Amino acid sequence: MTLPVSLSPLLAVNATLLADVGQVAAQPRWLMAIAVAAAAVSLWLLLPKGLENRRARPIGVVLGSIALACFALAGRRLGSLGEEAVFLLVAGVAVVSATATIVTRSPVYAAIWFAMTLAGVSGVLLVLDAQFLGVATIVVYAGAILVMFLFVLMLAQPSGLASYDRVSSEPMLAAIAGAVLVGLLTVSIGRLSAPAALEGDQSVAQTEAEEAAAAPTAVAAPDQLRDDHVARLGGELFGRHLVAVEAAGVLLFVALVGAIAVVTRGEAAALAEGRPTR
Amino acid sequence: MNPVTTPFMFPVLAVENAATAVATVVSPAMGMLHNGLLVGAILFTLGLVGILTRRNMIVMFLSAELMLQGVSVSLVSWSRFHGDWGGQMLVIFVLTVAACEAAVALVFVLQAFSRTGRLDANAWQSLREAVLPQTIDQALPPIDSAATQWPTLTPAGVEPVRDEEALLEREHV
Repeated sequence: MTLPVSLSPLLAVNATLLADVGQVAAQPRWLMAIAVAAAAVSLWLLLPKGLENRRARPIGVVLGSIALACFALAGRRLGSLGEEAVFLLVAGVAVVSATATIVTRSPVYAAIWFAMTLAGVSGVLLVLDAQFLGVATIVVYAGAILVMFLFVLMLAQPSGLASYDRVSSEPMLAAIAGAVLVGLLTVSIGRLSAPAALEGDQSVAQTEAEEAAAAPTAVAAPDQLRDDHVARLGGELFGRHLVAVEAAGVLLFVALVGAIAVVTRGEAAALAEGRPTR
Repeated sequence: MNPVTTPFMFPVLAVENAATAVATVVSPAMGMLHNGLLVGAILFTLGLVGILTRRNMIVMFLSAELMLQGVSVSLVSWSRFHGDWGGQMLVIFVLTVAACEAAVALVFVLQAFSRTGRLDANAWQSLREAVLPQTIDQALPPIDSAATQWPTLTPAGVEPVRDEEALLEREHV
């Protein structure tokens, strides 16, 4: 296929323009900016604002998916494809259900979405080689704390949606604040592991590598990757952090006593004032 | 004609460029740290937005727990990157403190609810010293107690016939 001569310069210009745009899109910084902006707008659209707008939710969902895709594309590649896929899956579950937790109108659904977030977070912890914490998150949070939330909801939530569940205070300002915070955090995280920074520090890395080669005992496999992970974690917890464990036990006991004291004194005060008690 | 210059190829090109630009020399450990910190930052920010916007005290509290989850993910990422236990130890104590915090804060939420009859954080906007003037950001609608329906359990089965004499008798003296 041959092109007319008059068209070819136009096409060339077009191609360079497209290449420029492609370069811009290739910059992780720009990807991050697009992701943060899309996430902020989608949060603002999704947060409950009293009046029901049927068009806002689908647009918000679409923008949120764009933001997720940009975040996923801007993430660093991991070692193997399987690891990458698993990480993307669990992190996606965690982030999507965290968003659903804060935008859903019914508090009961919020609690259930939070349980889903916990499942995603524990998956992320498992990928990060923290088996004990992954399981403990499910057991402690989803098993105990979340059930406590549902109990309180059962005591205090009338059926149907209350007026304060249908509106949120200052969704736009909060979305902007969130965008600023996540933008700053991603910039500093990106700078931490930027390829350019690594290249700049190559001499340092080389000297470090030489030192490591000189002292082979220093590069033993990290404790967390061994088979007896939990035993080693327990050894560290009850060895080096024994005093902190005792302090945490005291804290739990004081919280228990304090919670019971507040309940009983509140009941007594309510009786004295003639208010109904539960 | 060079196939690369066709406009239809542009999205493919852009994605390829992005993939190659991003997937440069970062080591897998550093990549894992980066991704873990990113997930932690996003979770933390979502929790912050939830606390700032939502008015139901229980949902605000769930958002606080979300922020704790974000911090936990960041700490574990650092722990893995450095290959030591510090971050994981901190997360264990974060779990402990979160359990205490949930117990005490839910008691406060219940007390606040029994005083005002709603879970709305705005119901406490007039909380102040006795000498200070009252500030009302947003007037609250009155509670329509007739329209408020509390959840009930569906009655199941038949109520057994009570034996009044048996109720009066004591099994143990």
